[in-house]
Amino acid sequence: MKVGFFIGCNTSFNRPDLEQAVRHAFPALGIELDDLEGQSCCPTWGTLPSVDVVGWCAVSARNHTIAEQKGLDIVTVCGSCYGSLSEAKYKMEVDPELKAKVNEVLQTIGREYKGTSNVRLTYYYLYHEIGPEKIRASLKYTLGGLKVALQPGCHTLWPSKVYYDKEEDPFHPRVLKEMVEALGATVGHYTRLIDCCGMGAMRSTDMEKSLNLFRRKILSIKEEVDPDLIITGCSSCLIQFDTAQEMLRREKKINFEIPVLHFMQALAICLGADPEKVAGLARTNVKSVIGKILPS
Amino acid sequence: MSQVQGGIGIINLSAGDPSLVNEIKELGGEELLECIQCAKCAAACPMVLAGFPFFNKRVIQAILLGLRDALLDDSSIWACQSCNRCTEVCPREVNPFEIIQAMRRVAIREFALPTLAIEGLKSLYDTGHAVYLAGAGNTRAKVGLPEKPPSTLSYPEALKEVRTILENTELAELGVIPMGESGVTDSCEV
Repeated sequence: MKVGFFIGCNTSFNRPDLEQAVRHAFPALGIELDDLEGQSCCPTWGTLPSVDVVGWCAVSARNHTIAEQKGLDIVTVCGSCYGSLSEAKYKMEVDPELKAKVNEVLQTIGREYKGTSNVRLTYYYLYHEIGPEKIRASLKYTLGGLKVALQPGCHTLWPSKVYYDKEEDPFHPRVLKEMVEALGATVGHYTRLIDCCGMGAMRSTDMEKSLNLFRRKILSIKEEVDPDLIITGCSSCLIQFDTAQEMLRREKKINFEIPVLHFMQALAICLGADPEKVAGLARTNVKSVIGKILPS
Repeated sequence: MSQVQGGIGIINLSAGDPSLVNEIKELGGEELLECIQCAKCAAACPMVLAGFPFFNKRVIQAILLGLRDALLDDSSIWACQSCNRCTEVCPREVNPFEIIQAMRRVAIREFALPTLAIEGLKSLYDTGHAVYLAGAGNTRAKVGLPEKPPSTLSYPEALKEVRTILENTELAELGVIPMGESGVTDSCEV
């Protein structure tokens, strides 16, 4: 089994430990990763999608063609990339005129978008192609004894019509829960589970409002679950959860810290990866929780 | 004169700009007039929870009233998370997120865009990445990765392709960022 790895800007430059986690976990589960050489930004929402539809879809389609030429599907670990790539693909599917305009632009670089590669998010791909049971059987270590709160992330869920892998009900997501339970953790429910974390355009536009939104969520997690660890399904959520807690503590708006990992990082550690490589850039104190996962 | 008069929130409807509706429809907000202002989108919107003055329902309402300046003077549209909860729940398939994107496209055509959006576009043109951190090579090396990802950063011909695309789309005509030979961006976090 082979799949194209679309890394995304934030993962490449901000949290390359997450990139390493994917590079460890996929081969460990028997899936070869292709680098999709020459990939670019997806492009993300605040850039070309905010300028015009054809330009957005053309840059997206170029990324798609790299995978198409190799006959591969695309997996990404970033919610924004997943959303932008999936939405552009959907738009070109339902609007042949748009697809034709995009291909006119792509002609200038000798490429043609066909729409033959699917866009998948890492943990959904693993859920459907490998399955929780097989993953459980491949683990060297487990999250046994740990209480975990989840952060699925907006772009993994909505708009459901554009995604290849769908939840039965995107307002009550189950896949991340099943996957984290497959790692052996106990997952606690909290009422603000599907609330937005405040990362992204909101944080870039108004840090204070973004942090207040985040605070509402992290307080709900603390009060209702009080977990040992938060596991996210999105790289942007990872960055927000990992950095915003410190900012709120500095402002004395919270007085606790909960360690945060992306699902792929937790999985890679359970598959025997070096924690320094796959989670070494965390700002929250993940060492103590990793100490509980690995035998001393 | 401002369309929304300061302090007391009186809207002068006769100062509205009716051309805004068509502009939005042409820039991707085709389903605008399907909106019945039911506010289901607002109930699902993180912008409402966070306290922004304009969110999906109110952006649509302001567009229908032609309140161009009020929307351009406020940064709310740029804070939209693109989460698409609104698209999911809309009973009229208005795609409220698309309307917000269309309003951003209007704003860009009037050069009313945040600095960060310009920097993101410039960084995309210069490096192929909208988010780019100059010191990232060290961070990547620290976790055992090559300093550059296998992206446009490692493949100059790939970057050239991205630039050619950008030069052949509306971004070039709008003149928002300088194109051609350009310096290297230090850092950009969108």
